[in-house]
Amino acid sequence: MPLSPRDLRPCFEGAIPAVIATCARDGTPNVSYISEVHYVDAQHVALSFQFFSKTRQNVLENPRATVVVIHPDTGAQYKLAVRYLRTEDSGPLYECMKAKLAGIASHAGMTGVFRLRGSDVYRVESVSEVYGTPLEAPPAPEVDVTTLRACMARLSAARDLATLLDALLDVLQDPIGIAHAMVLMYDPRGERLYSVVSRGYAESGVGAELRLGEGLIGTAAEARIPIRISHATSEFGYGRAMREDAESHGLTAGLEERIPFPGLPESQSQIAVPILAGSRLLGVLFAESPATGRFGYDEEDGFMVLASHVGAVAAQLEDEPVAPADDDRTPRHSTPAPRGTPLRVRHYAENDSVFVGEEYLIKGVAGSILWRLLRAHLEEGRSEHTNRELRLDPAIRLPDLSENLEARLILLQRRLEERCPDLGIEKTGRGRFRFNVRRPVELAEIPR
Amino acid sequence: MIARMKGEPDRPSPLDADHAAFIQGGVSVVVASRNAQLVADVVRGCGCRVSRDRRQVTVLVEPSRAGTLLEDIAANGRIAVVFSQPSTHRTIQLKGSDASIVRVTPSDRAVATRHLAAWKQELGSIGYTPDLAAAVRGAGEHIAAIRFTPSAAFQQTPGPGAGQRLAP
Repeated sequence: MPLSPRDLRPCFEGAIPAVIATCARDGTPNVSYISEVHYVDAQHVALSFQFFSKTRQNVLENPRATVVVIHPDTGAQYKLAVRYLRTEDSGPLYECMKAKLAGIASHAGMTGVFRLRGSDVYRVESVSEVYGTPLEAPPAPEVDVTTLRACMARLSAARDLATLLDALLDVLQDPIGIAHAMVLMYDPRGERLYSVVSRGYAESGVGAELRLGEGLIGTAAEARIPIRISHATSEFGYGRAMREDAESHGLTAGLEERIPFPGLPESQSQIAVPILAGSRLLGVLFAESPATGRFGYDEEDGFMVLASHVGAVAAQLEDEPVAPADDDRTPRHSTPAPRGTPLRVRHYAENDSVFVGEEYLIKGVAGSILWRLLRAHLEEGRSEHTNRELRLDPAIRLPDLSENLEARLILLQRRLEERCPDLGIEKTGRGRFRFNVRRPVELAEIPR
Repeated sequence: MIARMKGEPDRPSPLDADHAAFIQGGVSVVVASRNAQLVADVVRGCGCRVSRDRRQVTVLVEPSRAGTLLEDIAANGRIAVVFSQPSTHRTIQLKGSDASIVRVTPSDRAVATRHLAAWKQELGSIGYTPDLAAAVRGAGEHIAAIRFTPSAAFQQTPGPGAGQRLAP
């Protein structure tokens, strides 16, 4: 069987630079190094266009060229007969190559010098192995189809969004063996992503936010494409968690209102893939590793399969009927009376941020949900709630889509577990939950 | 005058002593030519030798790896060779139009042996094993020699100066 670019994917990670030989129309050959050869599909590759070079001039006037790539583990060389087709200077391919090039540049000590001007797309007309004495090939990737199938079955069994997202991070940990991962959900109204579940970090970072387009994760979300880097780079760092402009929210100066983004200080490899339901962006799956080159093309494929399954299951969970608001079959629960010194809780109407004592807890939609639950507790003595009542409450200003409420409740529940265990959200059924208050509360509303 | 433009021997070499030392060190040597259809072929070489007056450069390649390169050179003499040092990215390209296949001499073999050692050391400095360095370059047991007169030399180190012609 003839070789295809698909067989050469390890050669396209940028570990060892490739070379391209071209020829001017006057017959003068040229040979040059290429930082990044990117696998597009079984018939196409894209080359990084970084400088206005002789190579570029040549392929524009004579599109036939020869590329030699090297397998980074075996040293085997492959020759690709290629034909230049076009240059893309925006869009998914470009964004993907830009991020990868940033990692390659960092590895090569060329940050700031390597800059992607465009992705030059070539058709691959033939592939041949160059005679040589390569080393033995490394073992095949550990994520095979059978493993993937077992993971998908576990995801399909999820009954709600929280268990689905937990199951996703669980299967990444075992059997796939990725210890550091998180899921961020998309808030279309604020054009932000906020972390709802994570694994493997000293601080969970639940509630940390990123802007769409910010860093690796924000770029994957904005372009709705998988992005990965194999070597740490400042250019595509996480993007620091955003801090809102002091004037825009009018809060007392000095109050910390930002949840730090979790992350591995020694992170080398990172991957971010979009979680989509059809064309709708639900969120991003992100993973990282202290090892260089941890996430290759095969891992990217595996992540995309898992993420698209999560998107489909999440969409299906949204469509399922929600339990009626008043269901008498639910046993009334007698919550023990709150005891101890009162918790002082402040709510800033400006941005729905909630502080417990002096500590920032949460803001936005999740903050307004918490405030509503606290008032129902104090004013009505009520602890049983439904998703439906929250969805219908104009004060909560929830975006249209229902998965946003579910994701906000997960965020709020986990944030309370971590920062304020005297308050808690406990699921009692589909679309229903109980708000537990274990200490007396004193509420203070700070108007706009 | 026309002879000078074509890079005939009376033209001063574009290589100075520093360039000559660089291209004979532990650098990658990548050789390209093209066929009658103007399709370029390329092979990684296994060493380089510069004549005492720096007007002639001999690059060594393994014929088994060279594809149609040796035939192309025999047919039209056009050649481009890029030399690059992986640890610094310093890169130079030479071009010529009088390349020919010449007899391999004992000193060529010595050059190939020295190049392999220097190449392993160079790649070792950036974390590659000697085995991988050798697999990339080839053992260089059976070699062919290509000699040409560099008619032009270009600086190709990535950065603002890339593509500049080196003054003769």
